[in-house]
Amino acid sequence: MKDVYSTGEPNRPESYGAANRDIIRVLLKPSAAYFAMLFVAVSMMLFGVWCEYQQIRWGMGVANIKHPTMWGVYIVTFVFWVGIGHAGTLISAILYLVRSRWRTGVYRASEAMTVFAVMTALLFPVLHLGRMWQNYWFFPYPNQRQLWMNFKSPLMWDVFAISTYFTVSAIFFYVGLVPDIAIFRDHSKGLVKKVYGLLSLGWRGTHRQWHHYMAAYGFFAALAAPLVLSVHSVVSWDFAMANTAGWHSTIFPPYFVAGAIFSGCAMVITLLMPLTYAFNWHAYVNIWHFDALAKMCLLTSAILTYAYGMEYFIGWYSQNPYEQAIFFWRADPWADYGWAFYIMVFCNCVAPLPWYFQKLRTNPWALFIISIFINIGMWFERFNIIVSSLAHNFDPATWDYYWPSWIEWGILIGSTGWFFTWFLLFVKTFPAIAITEIKEMIPPPLKGSLEAK
Amino acid sequence: MNRRNFLQALGLGTGASALSACGLDYNRYYTPIEQILPYVVKPENVTPGVPTFFATSITTGPHAHPVLARHRDGRVVHVGSNKHAPLVRACVPKAALLELQRHYSPDRYKGPMEGTAALGWNDGAVPKLTAAVQAAKSAGKQVVWLGQYRSGSMVELLKSVVDKVVMWEPNGYEAEATAAQMVFGTRFLPRYDLAGASYVLSFGANVLGGWGGTRLQSDFAIARNPNGDHVIARYAHVSPYRDQSAANADDWFAVTPGSEVLVARAVAKLVAQKTGFSGPAVAALGNIDTATAASAAGIDAAAIEAIAAQFASGNAVALPGGAIGAGRAATELAAATYLLNIVGGAMPTLFSGGGYRAPIANTKDIMDLVAAMNAGNVGVLLVDEANPVHALPYSGFAEAMGKVGTTVAFSSHPDETAELCKLKMPAADTFEDWGDEEPLLGFTLLRQPAMSPLNLIHRPLGEQEQVATKWDVVSAGEVLVRVGQALGTVTAKTWRDYLRERWGRMVFDADVLAPPRDRARREAEASGAPWPPVGPDGAPVVEPPPHQDARFGAWFNKQLANGFHKNDLAERPQVLNVTGNVQWAADVAPAGSGDMTAILVPHAHVGDGRYANTPWAQELPDPMSGIVWDTWAEIHPDTAAKLGVVDRDEVEIKSANGSVKTSVEITKSVRPDTVAIQLGQGHALASMRYANGIGVNAALLAKDVDAHGAMAWSGNKVTVTKTGGRTDVVHTFGGDSDEDRNFAVVVNAEQFAAKGDAPADHPGDLTGIHHLEIDKRLTDIGLTDFYPIPQHPTYRFGMTVDTDACNGCGACSIACYAENNLPVVGREKVRQGREMSWIRIDRFYKGDETHFVPMMCQHCGHAPCESVCPVWATYHSLDGLNAMVYNRCVGTRYCSNACPFSARKFNYHTYVWPEPFNMQLNPDVVTRTMGVMEKCSFCVQRIRSIKSAYKDAATETTNFNAVVPDAALARLPACAEACPSQALTFGNLEDPSSTVTRTRKSGRNYFPLEDLNVFSAVNYLAKASFHVAKAEAHHGGGHGGGDAHGATEGGHGAEKAHDGGHGGGHDEHGKADEHGSAGDHH
Repeated sequence: MKDVYSTGEPNRPESYGAANRDIIRVLLKPSAAYFAMLFVAVSMMLFGVWCEYQQIRWGMGVANIKHPTMWGVYIVTFVFWVGIGHAGTLISAILYLVRSRWRTGVYRASEAMTVFAVMTALLFPVLHLGRMWQNYWFFPYPNQRQLWMNFKSPLMWDVFAISTYFTVSAIFFYVGLVPDIAIFRDHSKGLVKKVYGLLSLGWRGTHRQWHHYMAAYGFFAALAAPLVLSVHSVVSWDFAMANTAGWHSTIFPPYFVAGAIFSGCAMVITLLMPLTYAFNWHAYVNIWHFDALAKMCLLTSAILTYAYGMEYFIGWYSQNPYEQAIFFWRADPWADYGWAFYIMVFCNCVAPLPWYFQKLRTNPWALFIISIFINIGMWFERFNIIVSSLAHNFDPATWDYYWPSWIEWGILIGSTGWFFTWFLLFVKTFPAIAITEIKEMIPPPLKGSLEAK
Repeated sequence: MNRRNFLQALGLGTGASALSACGLDYNRYYTPIEQILPYVVKPENVTPGVPTFFATSITTGPHAHPVLARHRDGRVVHVGSNKHAPLVRACVPKAALLELQRHYSPDRYKGPMEGTAALGWNDGAVPKLTAAVQAAKSAGKQVVWLGQYRSGSMVELLKSVVDKVVMWEPNGYEAEATAAQMVFGTRFLPRYDLAGASYVLSFGANVLGGWGGTRLQSDFAIARNPNGDHVIARYAHVSPYRDQSAANADDWFAVTPGSEVLVARAVAKLVAQKTGFSGPAVAALGNIDTATAASAAGIDAAAIEAIAAQFASGNAVALPGGAIGAGRAATELAAATYLLNIVGGAMPTLFSGGGYRAPIANTKDIMDLVAAMNAGNVGVLLVDEANPVHALPYSGFAEAMGKVGTTVAFSSHPDETAELCKLKMPAADTFEDWGDEEPLLGFTLLRQPAMSPLNLIHRPLGEQEQVATKWDVVSAGEVLVRVGQALGTVTAKTWRDYLRERWGRMVFDADVLAPPRDRARREAEASGAPWPPVGPDGAPVVEPPPHQDARFGAWFNKQLANGFHKNDLAERPQVLNVTGNVQWAADVAPAGSGDMTAILVPHAHVGDGRYANTPWAQELPDPMSGIVWDTWAEIHPDTAAKLGVVDRDEVEIKSANGSVKTSVEITKSVRPDTVAIQLGQGHALASMRYANGIGVNAALLAKDVDAHGAMAWSGNKVTVTKTGGRTDVVHTFGGDSDEDRNFAVVVNAEQFAAKGDAPADHPGDLTGIHHLEIDKRLTDIGLTDFYPIPQHPTYRFGMTVDTDACNGCGACSIACYAENNLPVVGREKVRQGREMSWIRIDRFYKGDETHFVPMMCQHCGHAPCESVCPVWATYHSLDGLNAMVYNRCVGTRYCSNACPFSARKFNYHTYVWPEPFNMQLNPDVVTRTMGVMEKCSFCVQRIRSIKSAYKDAATETTNFNAVVPDAALARLPACAEACPSQALTFGNLEDPSSTVTRTRKSGRNYFPLEDLNVFSAVNYLAKASFHVAKAEAHHGGGHGGGDAHGATEGGHGAEKAHDGGHGGGHDEHGKADEHGSAGDHH
């Protein structure tokens, strides 16, 4: 096996059987460390549930949202998770369509991340509602009172954009999983075999099945690809369509999509790096992949930096007093949210710069630490956009300072726990690396080879 | 399980879960058990669901004001304006609304008590009191009444029952009354009529903050309005402290504390020289020279001369010191202002003798009373809402009360003094009682019970049994009549009879009986017939007492229905003659040691403390600082720098008499050598649940009366030291500046005076706001707006806010709380930004001006909130309202984020009204639960009701589609109805002749954030300032309101550099200007 620190494509396992064994090995009895992580994740989630109970019981007043900052941590975190949910489909669908070889090792885990991130994101539009028990009013259901929704509202577009994205990415994810689940089925016994049997939808690997499968996979990839661009554009319209200074900007859709891919790729690095080491997947995922992800981050970071600069340029060039005021105030290091702005700029624009050096781009520690910075930076980007624009709204007499309450932090923590609970359960029950696609890269087994024996 | 069993089980399960769901959560969804029962015998004039109005008068003494109590289903739910009352403009004083909430306070005494043991009235309290009074009289001890200012029949009744009447209020009018006695020989209050004034000079009286009653606020707004007479009253304020009233002043002269009297005398001297006035008033002024006064006051002699020049130019009136000017020469200051008014020619038009005549005691009288109490000379002390234990901590009143045989509280609410009284006889309050007041000579207000005492049947949370709570209160008048009967000094059977008898004697006789009687007498004298006429038996005919006249009943009922009576004394000028001389004290400087002077200010809403336990008063932000539920010390920035303190640091303020620790609020509204602290707080009494523990009692710092017996509140030197602690004072304000976003706009006063609000060629041309012009290519094809403007077939409701008239008092906001069932959220929730007021009075400092800008929902035509709501919970109605459907709201709060005016309020919790506050809730407006948005609705319930009324009244022969006329709409919303200055006007924008349509054409019209193109229904009229340059004249038509070049920059009075030739070449210039702003590409 080649050195894991090289940047080339890893040496593939020698046989299909070896690939199967490597992936199935992950499903063996979990270690104490795994249970400890799961315990932490579930505890975080339960804490979030308790905080949400407080909020339902006593009202939104337990959160610190206040006039005029009516959206706070919840919407910030919502946009954050939706953004995270972009990398998976980008990697699995768009890179599939453009036949990028490096996606193979990382796409399954990124797709799982996407689905779980979107599931996490979907919590927030519901739990940030003043009356969350009325959330079904967002859906066009027939009712005697002739109530209907307002399709002019960007929130309504959100409902459809995100639910569509979730549906398509979940189906795409599942379609990709079917042949691999069949392998799991073939290697398990008893009840487990029955469950995998059901989930594998009768996959037998016949020529005819493969023929249909590849057509369907390509079709879903084509369907998912534009959604990658549309979802975060629609999310950005939640802000861009409102006249609030600091939100009301045509630059938002590309800026948000770039940010989403940036944060998503960084999150893939954050998640896969420990998994690669924990499960010894070096034959499947190595620095070559991370290097590619880091390059994606560098590109999108550059786009973001340009967008940040452009916001200021337009603010100055438009001579719009409200826009100028909000942008200049945001960047004032002594102003209320100056620190958040500089965290954002540092994490998103400065922190990735070391990756321009190949040495740092291929160093696991540098990759991991910088990716964490990017995750933090992207959360603060949304914090900056949402909170600081509202806190310094149009009427100076209403300006106020928002800082989240511990209930809001609790729900943020709970959402992270929810995400990691799903992710941890996934890696222990489903193939986190696409076995069949790996196999495509291995020379087909010939008579007399290892597999045939 | 067969199908039948399954269905049974299903039915049982569903029913059981539904039932248990009903009883689940008392706290959140508690609904009182109610019976919907029709009246068996319907009371006359009461239709369920239709309000009844009772004319009444609210607050006592010189502040009495005629209002209407709005009665719904057995209780008063709101206080409205009495449009028919003369001498006062239709409005609702803030105090009237606070009295309304006080009426429903859960802390009210529920019935008579001896100590803490409940008593009956007839078998307990009244006999005990009667016995005590008789015992005191027989023992030769005094029976003393200590109460708030009251006038009319109550005073007469008191004088026949008790030995001594002491009517005293901490921040009352004792200096003014004593000065009147000194100068004019009579103890009374002069009457001020500001409506005709062109120069108002106050020496500290917060004339726009309640001093002299709400009438003066209304009158000032009239004086300030140049429409018709082309005169704008200039308001100058001479005081070390700039309060909400002074913030409206055109000129503020920050003189040293105590020196106001010197300035007043110096001005008067100069005015007398200018007007050539001669008479005893000049002599009474004594010797004062301008330079001495100026140097003592710390201002330029030129300033005094300028004031005098303004004053001498006519129609000027001077107001005394009020509470803030109550230094060590409080009485002399009042006397000096009287003399100034006389030499300046204000008498008798602007200043006259037709004021309040009822007793006003000095603080010295309280000290004498304490001495008498300590000496054991007081047998019975009757306390009526006066609270010297709290207001005069140094007086030793509490200890002295222990030496009085019987102490009786007539106060309806607990306070420090009432709680110490042995016998508590809670009196019916202003909504439950008969009574009358005479705030001006010849102008009497009549009061009738607007509801019977509260009788609440309710089911406490989680209990099965219903509980009846009755507020067993009896009128103080009734008790006094009974005591008087026992003493043999009162013959009337009841308090109502007493009132009728007196009205018959005093008013009906003069009004109805006297004219024919006089005629008959003259005829008799002419014909030589005997007078008084003799009957057949030769004995003179004895007329029955007037109130037994056959016509009296109908006449009296008419007065009750009106709520007021005015006779020609009120209209006749009451000329005053200077009879006395004034001993001017040489030393007017504050006493004690220390480098600063404490200015003790009655709290803007809590007042002297009487509304401390009234949540509305506590929750309404202080107009200047925005602070709620607290006490604070205002310190000048220079002083703060010297002390090393910042906002919300704790300081200790120490005088020779006591010390308090409170929070620092840095402001330029005080002189550097003074510190201003709010009075009225600092109650430590569990029975005052809302006031308990709020702030500190600043009265601890004060001591001593001036040479004439009036309290010297602001006459104490103090030292201010930093304690190093921090406070958690709560305020609601954001920025002090409007950041040149056209929230606060000024126009030149002289220019405005000349033009008034007459339709201008270019609306808003006086404001200097630069409007971008719409591209001619678009106007040519009639496309001026990207989106279609909503169509309004009959009405588009809108409002005009006159920021020049608005003085920031906050009456509108409280009226809104009362009308629209806004919850009070309390101190901690205000800290979290949870206050619910639908009207926010933004206070901006801009240049020399302080702006008060009431902001409420602007009911935009292109409302940013409407398009973002995902469920249509807010939408644009056909009559132009931005309607809000609470039931449909899911609480995304997106609307609030989109609202540029931040006018929306969110229900963070479900708020509860502790019983019986809930009895005040307006049945026409739903209460909201947690998670929904709310905002100003323009009082949609009133709009719907008046529209229906006009539709109902219309017949096919008249006009079936009757449109509500402008006059009926102008004061329709609760805020507009309450506003003493009539700064808020409501109306129909689709009606070309309505007031709101006309004001939109005014030269000082502006819309905050107009450039957002939200097409708002609320237009603002700019504040007039004497300190800004004139706006440039418009050059020619055709610009469509386009090029009102900023003649003023940010209200600072700096004129923009425009070259002289630009008027001629206007086309080019205008173009360059407009394109320059639009992005420079032509």
